[in-house]
Amino acid sequence: MVTLKFYTHLALCWVCVSMLLISCGEDEISVVSEFEFVKPAHFPEPTYTLDNNPVTEQGFLLGRKLFFDPLLSVDGSVSCNTCHIQSTAFADSQQHPLSFGIENRVGIRNAPMLANMAFVPDFFWDGGVNHLDFVAINAIESEVEMGETLENVVRKLNEDSEYPDLFKEAFDTDKVTSPFMLQALSQFMILMVSDQSKYDQYIRNETALSADELQGLSLFEAKCSSCHSGTLFTDFSYRNNGISETFSDTGRETITEFSGDIGKFRVPSLRNIGLTAPYMHNAKFWSLDEVLEHYRSGIKTSPTLDPLLQNGISMTDDEKDKIILFLRTLTDQEFRSNPKFRNQ
Amino acid sequence: MKYISYLFLATLIIVSSCSEDEPTQIETGTFQLKFDNFAGSTEIDLVNPGSTDYMFNTTSGEPFNITTFRYYISKVKLEGPDGEVFEDEMNVSANADDVRGFYLVNEADASSKFITLKDIPAGRYNKVTFTIGIGEEGIEEGAAGGILDPAEGAWFWNWNAGYIGFAIEGGAANSGQERVEGDGWLIEEKSFALHIGGWKEITPADGETQKFVNNLKEVTLDFDSNLRVGAGLDPNAHIVVDALKLLDGASIDFSATYSVHAPKAGQAFAQFIPEAFILDHTHQ
Repeated sequence: MVTLKFYTHLALCWVCVSMLLISCGEDEISVVSEFEFVKPAHFPEPTYTLDNNPVTEQGFLLGRKLFFDPLLSVDGSVSCNTCHIQSTAFADSQQHPLSFGIENRVGIRNAPMLANMAFVPDFFWDGGVNHLDFVAINAIESEVEMGETLENVVRKLNEDSEYPDLFKEAFDTDKVTSPFMLQALSQFMILMVSDQSKYDQYIRNETALSADELQGLSLFEAKCSSCHSGTLFTDFSYRNNGISETFSDTGRETITEFSGDIGKFRVPSLRNIGLTAPYMHNAKFWSLDEVLEHYRSGIKTSPTLDPLLQNGISMTDDEKDKIILFLRTLTDQEFRSNPKFRNQ
Repeated sequence: MKYISYLFLATLIIVSSCSEDEPTQIETGTFQLKFDNFAGSTEIDLVNPGSTDYMFNTTSGEPFNITTFRYYISKVKLEGPDGEVFEDEMNVSANADDVRGFYLVNEADASSKFITLKDIPAGRYNKVTFTIGIGEEGIEEGAAGGILDPAEGAWFWNWNAGYIGFAIEGGAANSGQERVEGDGWLIEEKSFALHIGGWKEITPADGETQKFVNNLKEVTLDFDSNLRVGAGLDPNAHIVVDALKLLDGASIDFSATYSVHAPKAGQAFAQFIPEAFILDHTHQ
């Protein structure tokens, strides 16, 4: 009897202590799961507001389901995946040099890759969107992409046989609303971290670059890195890179409404650049060789041309080949084949 | 009994370990802002899109009517002669129930014209300040619910992310707008739409011209007397919002200006927003 009483006391004390821990505990023992956002050591701090939308397994899986679901389009014909394909690091497929939408409608810009979106300060070629959550609204409501309204997508999701339960599990909400849908999509994209390229392995001293690749790296640093800087290979600025003399799509000027920004577009990240042809906002070039040739000999002059490109970038054929060799070390085969990002 | 005492102990531990200093209960009250929308001296009576019943005139004699009239109010602050300051709580969340401090006044929704501020420390107040539009605090936190949810009536610019802070739509006899029909939408002939937005405030680099147009406007209104806030009191201020101040201020010529959908084009109207908000009267 005494023993039983002792154990009762012990058990109740344990209840007290555990209640205390549950009620006050903040720092929990961290176990890194595949659904946790982890910043690679050599990457910059994420720009995404993770505090407002911490990634969870249920949220990520819901976001993945939405990403691949043509329900987001007005006639059920296109999904996010139509223009963002895993094998090209979630850039477009080469069959669709420009964004592709319902009823075979074609947009005006090349769909960029979606790797490392957690680190991007502003979105789209013109930087018009300040937060990843808002990105999908453009695709859903664009008449040349999904042609749908956010309101109607939410209605369809609420009437669906599966989605309401999935939203309940992910966000503890009894009703599907647009902010939760957008947050789920963001959770899927936030975990799309591409940091397993040969270059990343080289940075982490896990592998060596070949002599030619190393030469390519130093040539790249000398000739390209003033714009394509840092671990993400972009300074996130907007520049006119001499792609054209006149601009029907004025780029950054659309957002700033400042004539000095006509023809300026976001400097893209070069990660996975070997996979994401065609290149430039207007999908003008089909190969890296054409891109470098453009910088060497094809710069078109206009009032907003970037000062760094006034005389082009000089390089020999051999230097050009080595730079391209280096650029191919930025391809992340693991990312493009990771089953976590596959439609399941 | 023993169980009860242990439960008591557990509760005690939780309370003592987690509770912050309990504030001493102070007396609070409410304050109501009521918005009455006018065009000059005539109260706005919305008509259906396409109506050619033009009941208003600009000072330059352009006949027009109004089909939509709406604006966001945020960052409301009350101040008093004795140093009282009350700042309305602001919060952005995907969860609609947790969104605080953002209000949409929509002429089409009579209840939206009343904003009731709560938990105001008792005292005297003689000034209200608020912002027309939604600034970075409402946009940089990402997707938000409730009054900020574009799927539930918030007006949001997708391409240049941000909310439309002030919108006037209607018809005008001289409007240059042609009929345009799209997938599920229609722009009526002789209609006009003035959408005022733009919130980015980016200081230009040396030698650069100012980029982006920030059309957020702060309005400060002095009351005609000191209004007492406290338990059992129902002080309120009636504010008249005059659409003509914007249209006349910008000297609108509907034949040329009928489609304003970008920050820079909205600037001509936005600059007159502060004078469009007029304190009409107050009630104690």
